[in-house]
Formats: sequence, C-alpha cells, structure tokens
Amino acid sequence: MNLKVSCSPHLRSPVNTPWVMMQVIVALLPATIAAIILFKQRAAFLIANCVITALVTEEIIQKIRKKPSTVADYSGVLTGLLLALILPPSTRWYAASLGSIFAIAVGKHLFGGLGANIFNPALIGRAFLMAAYPKMLTTFIAPSSVDAITKATPLALRKFSGVITPTKDLFLGTIAGSLGETSAVCLIIGGAYLLWRKIADWRIPLTVLTTTTVISAIFHIVNPLNGSILFHLFSGGLLLGAFFMATDPVTTPTTKTGRYIFGGGCAILIMIIRYFSGLPEGVMYSILFMNALTPLINSYTQPKRFGE
Amino acid sequence: MLKVHESKELQHQLPSEKLRLPKKLYLPLSQHTGRPSKACVSIGKEVEEASTIALEDGLISARLHAPQKGKITAIENYWHPVLKRAPAIALECAPEEKRYQIEKDLQHYSKDEILEMIKNSGIVGMGGAAFPSQVKLKPPQKVDTLIINGCECEPYLACDYRLMVENLDEIFKGIEIVCRLINPKEVIFAIEDNKISIKKKLNHIRSLKKFNIPKLGIAVLKTAYPQGGEKQLIFTLTKRRVKGDELPFEVGCLVHNVATCFAIYEAVYLDKPLIERMVTCAGDALCAPKNIWVKIGTTLKELFDEKILEFKIEPKKIIAGGPMMGIGLNHLEYPILKGSGGFLFLTKDVTELEEGPCIRCARCVDECPMQLTPLEYVKRIKKEEYAVLDKFNINDCIECGSCAYVCPAKIPLVHYIKIGKNYMPKKK
Repeated sequence: MNLKVSCSPHLRSPVNTPWVMMQVIVALLPATIAAIILFKQRAAFLIANCVITALVTEEIIQKIRKKPSTVADYSGVLTGLLLALILPPSTRWYAASLGSIFAIAVGKHLFGGLGANIFNPALIGRAFLMAAYPKMLTTFIAPSSVDAITKATPLALRKFSGVITPTKDLFLGTIAGSLGETSAVCLIIGGAYLLWRKIADWRIPLTVLTTTTVISAIFHIVNPLNGSILFHLFSGGLLLGAFFMATDPVTTPTTKTGRYIFGGGCAILIMIIRYFSGLPEGVMYSILFMNALTPLINSYTQPKRFGE
Repeated sequence: MLKVHESKELQHQLPSEKLRLPKKLYLPLSQHTGRPSKACVSIGKEVEEASTIALEDGLISARLHAPQKGKITAIENYWHPVLKRAPAIALECAPEEKRYQIEKDLQHYSKDEILEMIKNSGIVGMGGAAFPSQVKLKPPQKVDTLIINGCECEPYLACDYRLMVENLDEIFKGIEIVCRLINPKEVIFAIEDNKISIKKKLNHIRSLKKFNIPKLGIAVLKTAYPQGGEKQLIFTLTKRRVKGDELPFEVGCLVHNVATCFAIYEAVYLDKPLIERMVTCAGDALCAPKNIWVKIGTTLKELFDEKILEFKIEPKKIIAGGPMMGIGLNHLEYPILKGSGGFLFLTKDVTELEEGPCIRCARCVDECPMQLTPLEYVKRIKKEEYAVLDKFNINDCIECGSCAYVCPAKIPLVHYIKIGKNYMPKKK
C-alpha cells in the first residue's frame, strides 16, 4: 500500500482561486454587455485590447521570473477587463495597451505578483494613463454615437455647468462615461451576484453606499444643485468601485472592522473630491489611497481574542 | 461555522457489531492528555481481563487495563497514531471473555467512592482529546451547567450516534452519576439536526422522569463544523466564552461526550474499566463501512486479517479520526486508542493540490471559530518570524481545520500553524 500522509484537514472546499476570479468576471458580464451595446465596436475592441495585453504581459513576466504560467487563474483577465471598463470609450488603442502593461507589470508583478500587490492593478493602470494622457482620459463621448461626439459626464456637467442628469439615464447608462461605469442597473445586478455567491464581503459595498447616501443627503438638503442621493450613487465610478474595486481581496483589509473603515473611508474621500476638488470624480484616487492605508487598518483592527 | 459534506448517511444506519476476540493487543502507555501511565506488570505475566496493567502517573494521567485475559509479551516502543512511536504494552490474548452483568446499587456509595471508581477505570474523554475524566469531574470551582456532547460534527463518523440509538438509557445512567458528582443546576443534551431521530428519544426520557437529573434541556443545533468543539459548543449553548488557555469550569461549564458518559456507566455500575469502545470505519476504499465495538489496543491490521473490514480498492489515504482533524497513517499496524472515534480509508487524497499564493480573501479569518487571523500566521511562518506569533494568539488555535478547508489558494494552514506553534519561542 502506498499511503499518503499529510496534515489535516483531509477535506477541501471546491472553491479555488480561479473559480473566485471567474465569478468576478461573470459578475462583470452585465456591465460588459451594456458597454458593448452602448459603445459598440469601440467597447469590444478596447476590452479585447486590454485583456489580451494583460495576459501577454503576464506570460512574459512569468517567463522572465522563471515562474509557471498563471494565465489559467483568470486574475490577469480580470485586471484587463476591469481596466477596460474604467477607461473612456474613446481611449486610443496604444494608450489602452500601455495602461494594461503598466497595470500588470508595475501594479501587480513589481510587488511580487498575485496576492502581493498593495494597490489595485487596474486602478494603477488608469492612474498611470491619467498622468500620461490627461486629455484623452478626461474626454468622453455620448453613447451610440458613430462619429464620437464629445460629451461631458454627469459629474462634470454637475460640477462645471450646474446641470443634473435625470436619474433614469444614470440607471440605464445612456450617458457619457467610462465603458463599464455608465449602467447602474447592470452594476447592481453584478454586485448582487457577487454578494450572493459570497465572493465579495458585503461590509465594504454596504459602508461605501450608506456613507455616500448619508453625505449626499446632507449636501442635497443644503443645496439641490449638489445632486440627489441617487445621482451620486448612480453616477461616475461609484458602483463599479464599491462592488468590484473596493472588494478586491488582495488590496483591502482582512478584518471585519477594517472593512467598515475601508468602505467608509473610500466614500468620504470620494464625496470630498466630488464636492470640493478640481476633479469631477474621485473613486479611483480614493480607493488607491485607502489601498495604501490597508496594512495600517489591518494592524489596528486585529480581532479581539476569543473570550476577551 | 462550516457546512461540510457529511458523508454519514450510511454509517448512521449501521447497527454496531462486535469484533470476535482479538489475538494480540498493543496498549500504548500514552492514550490521554497528561503524563503517560506507568506499567505495573512485568513481561511474561499472565493477566486477567480488566486487571490494571499500568497506573496513573501524577494528577493528570489515566490508568490502563488489560482489555482481555492474556500474557504480557513485551513493553517497548510500538506504533502510535499520534506520537508515531511510543512505549506500549503488548498483550497476547487468550480466547476468553469476562462477563459484566450485575448492576450495582449505587445508594451505598459516597461521592468520593464513585470518583475513585471512575479514576480506577482509566476513563478519559472519548471525543478525541482524551482528557482524564476524574480530573474534569472534580472541578476546583462550582459548575452550574453540564453539557452532554452528542454533536459528532466530524464528517463520516457515526459511533456517537449509534451509541445514542442503541444505549441511550445507559448514557443517561452515566449522566446521572456525573450529576451526582458535580451537582449542576442544568443539564443540556446537545445534538446536531442530522441526528433528529434522537430528539424523540430524548423527549421521551425527559417525560418519563426516571433519571435523577436536574432541569434537562435538549438542544438541537444546526449541523455545522466545528459545532462539537468544546469551546464552540459552550458558546453556542450558553454564550459563555472559554479563552484559548482556559478550561470550561472557569465559565461554570463541564462538557462530556456521550461515549464518556457510557464509559462512566460501565465503570461505576458494572465495574468494567475502559477497555472497549465503538469506532466507525468508513471510506470509499472499503467494501462496506462499519460501526464496530473493539477492544482498546486492537490493530487495524487485525480488523482486516479477521475480515471484519475488507478493501474494495486499495486506499490512498488512511486517517485516524475524522477527515477534518484526523491524522494520516502510513500503514495498518497502528492500535486503536481510547480516544479513537473512527478510521477512514479513502481512495483519493484531496490535499495534494498545489499551494497557490494567498489572495488575502480572509475566508480563513471569517471562518475561524477562535477569532484568529490564520493568514497572518502563514505570512510570518514562511518568513520564519516565530516570535511575533504569540501576539496573534497562535496558541488559541484548536486546529479544527476550517481555515485550510475554505482556503481558495489551497494553503495547508494547519500544517503551517503546527510548525509555528512548534518553533515559537517558549514562554518562561
């Protein structure tokens, strides 16, 4: 008899890392499909570009680092897809590719690869493009426009023109914005799926959304031109950020208390940027900033000992 | 807590069988928590069944008895499921069996005399930890709640369930004795809802009021792992928390497994020491699973030699205990101990999965019943930073395996935690 001796437990849950990543991709499908319906071949091309570039970059880096291929864990696909969904539809192909390379190479592998990165790789990719191509990254087009008619996003319209976009358009996504951010309904469906499958912990989305609600309610009472609760929840990258970026396990707190702090912190920063800064939107910077605070949050929120 | 596939349905329905008299027994001197027993027989000595062959050494230790009439052939190192090699008494058995029939009338015995009987019978906790029972039954402070643990939350195992089906009256006689000794305000009999048939019987016993037990509560808990863990069970039932380095009496509780209660009944009423127990043998490598009454010290090999168990397919893995906390064995020469609840013979080893990088999803943190942060341990242990582990209360870990079970990266967390506990600088 050739018997294997190993440490307990001798049972393992069927859930593994590739499955977890795949579930997030599945949850992003509604938003991805909405992006393709709204922005047609531009969207399809941008998504394909980011995903393929991400995978190729990851393959090459793993070869250089003499590590086994990690294409099959779907984490590269996920980063590529997330990056595409937060780029303006009119982003040029070379910029998107560069962003994808930067996200994987610097955002993920420079820190040590899957599980070791401090910042969300997709957001790092976008932050890099923001610095490299500021004009391109802040120019948005109206959906379903063949000739790429430039149009401001609802948040920019509010901030710079004092115009509040109707909630129905925000809900369906028939507005200018990044590829996957526009359709609130699709993001809510995807987010609900993530929570139902227990892929994402509910604490972070819940605190992001409730904190945003409270802050925007107060500001709405002060001045209706600040935008309503639903306006702030459905516009910009808030839902995508709350459900898909702020719940990335690698870069967010591992403790339950820490997750409340992380979600609350994100929402407060987002609203500060929206109301008081020169930028119309601040989801990306807020989450990146909270990513940097994650190790600190973790060390201050270690659970109490059982019985104390 | 976890929902683990139970794989119990078949074993639950199998009436217990008795093993014909074994030929040779190996009785390790260390079958319990505490100091090993000291052998009090010499090689070559003929011993009667139930006679003492090793005495307790110190306060926390247990006595050992000859499970069958026979001759001592050796006292030397032998295979031990937990310690690998440990001193054991080898007994060549004669094909004779003693009968224990007459139930004593306990009225004439004092508390101390009863406690002495339990001590002299070498009874230990039969749920796994094998803590000497006489120590638990003499708590240094008042215990108000006695919890009878019939949860049996480990998948596959069914011996506690079968014991409850077949010997519930005797178990209650045991509980009665425990009540007499510690005089609790309340007794809670806890089972999981996969053993719902027991609930009826418990209700019936309660309504008959034939046992002298104060306020009997029946708790049917959700089937979950590790519901039967002592600290978890106390928390579920009483909301009292027993810290990692505390014992249940410190929160006024005492937990006894149903099999221990049965053993106490046998010891006190029948003068039968702990020389026999029921074990579940299961797994897909066997032709048929079985619940068997075996003499302590019987080797697995003998169960197969006697055709009590038969292999359908050659196993890839043999586990002493349940699949969540059991210990992998590398051959069949191991003897069955007082604390052995079962043995599994599996054709697949799911732990061969390659360990991936931690994605910090914190499922291990969410599932840990002791509120620990297992992923932090692995990070430190991989860097050999053992000194900081104490800050994260690593010694509170009960090694239930929930963290490693849920880990999507398939990191063997319990393995790392054991290393960490071992290399951690010892407190002075």
